Amino acid sequence: MNSSVMVWPADPRSTGVEIRRGRSLLSGVENGPDLQSHLRHHGPLPTLGLDELVGRTRGSALLGRGGAGFPFAVKLEATTKSRGKPSVVVNLAEGEPASWKDSALSMVAPHLVLDGASITAAALGAAEVHVVLPGDRSAVRLQLKAAIDERTERFSTAVADVAFVAGQAAAVVELLSGRENRPVTSWEPAAVRGLRNKPTLLSNAETFAHVALIARGVGASTTLLTIDGDSSRPLVREVRLGKPWRKVLRRDQLDGPVLLGGYHGTWAAPGALRSLTVSRDSMGAAGLALGAGIVLTGDRCPLDRAAEIATYLASESAGRCGPCVNGLPRLAAALRDAARGLGGTTEIERLAGLVERRGACAHPDGTARMARSLVTSYAFELREHQRGRCCFALGEPRKAG
Amino acid sequence: MKRQLRVDWPVCKARGLCFELLPEAVSLDEWGYPIIAKEISPDLVTAAREAVRACPTLALRLVEARG
Repeated sequence: MNSSVMVWPADPRSTGVEIRRGRSLLSGVENGPDLQSHLRHHGPLPTLGLDELVGRTRGSALLGRGGAGFPFAVKLEATTKSRGKPSVVVNLAEGEPASWKDSALSMVAPHLVLDGASITAAALGAAEVHVVLPGDRSAVRLQLKAAIDERTERFSTAVADVAFVAGQAAAVVELLSGRENRPVTSWEPAAVRGLRNKPTLLSNAETFAHVALIARGVGASTTLLTIDGDSSRPLVREVRLGKPWRKVLRRDQLDGPVLLGGYHGTWAAPGALRSLTVSRDSMGAAGLALGAGIVLTGDRCPLDRAAEIATYLASESAGRCGPCVNGLPRLAAALRDAARGLGGTTEIERLAGLVERRGACAHPDGTARMARSLVTSYAFELREHQRGRCCFALGEPRKAG
Repeated sequence: MKRQLRVDWPVCKARGLCFELLPEAVSLDEWGYPIIAKEISPDLVTAAREAVRACPTLALRLVEARG
């Protein structure tokens, strides 16, 4: 086996996750995840004042890597401007089952994640640091707990429920408050009023790992991707921001349907990624979202896939907000109808509009985004299905370009 | 100051009083949940406050409009 590749048998029943060595976050794949190896590889834990941390994270334009892409420096400043002693929360609850990058990062470099949290907590003078672990990935929990035991700082851990919406920021604050791990309405961002009504800096694991590198003078010039197809095992790799997708994906992957950003993400038309780069700006201009860096490729009919995904997402509603409870099953049904050639796109768009911004969390919005992007990127295939033809079933999908 | 009505979605149980009291800014979707106008104009603020007070599940708030 290639020494720069680690295969982590994430689940004994699965074929594992392939983790490829990267230039910074995943540069220590062969070294082992323990503290001694980490210190040898990355050097000692730096201490930064708050102004310096704000300045450096702004200078390297660090955006949150949980999906929303909010500027970390802005969040940091909001935390300092609100009343009360702040808390820091590392969110490792990858509710999106297709995402493996935060788990992979934690298997390879748990101390980089903890360093970032520690540096942030020290700069903020935080009262406590919480690490929220995934409920369904025991290897990640054990790895993080082992890493915490090696360190002198105090970290509290909590385990998230196995549910798609359990990783949403408001749901994580609920969990840490001793309530059910489900989203509630947050009238203000957690950075302003979060845990125990105090300012709470909650960010994703990859974001904190970038903080650890930025504090050591390395910029946030890369991003983690989970690339998964229909047959092979998921691959996690670190990619330079601005790298052309042509150099990230294989030709057959580029020319087939790609769902970017996971189940809450956007469908790219065949070949649409050929002229784009791995960056929020390049993809945003094309109406595509990088989200939490999930890239789902494959040669199956995207209409069928979208209907399956929407059906799953409808079943993962926390069941609390009326428009989501009622609207997502209807939206999923509209997508199933469209895949069978029975319905038009008007109903899909109408239902998407009825669930957007009408819930406590981003679940309805994400589901609507996925559905809308199918209508935009696969208009031709949707018309073909109405004529009783599926190009993918016929083995002659639309050519790229 | 521009104002808007915000719904506490997990708390809203589609009782529809907001629509009864403020049809100028609230309509109902096919399941009975409110669809709220982007902004509450100054002449509707008093009626909006009344709707907030009347909501049987306390699911409405009148807040400063956000971008």
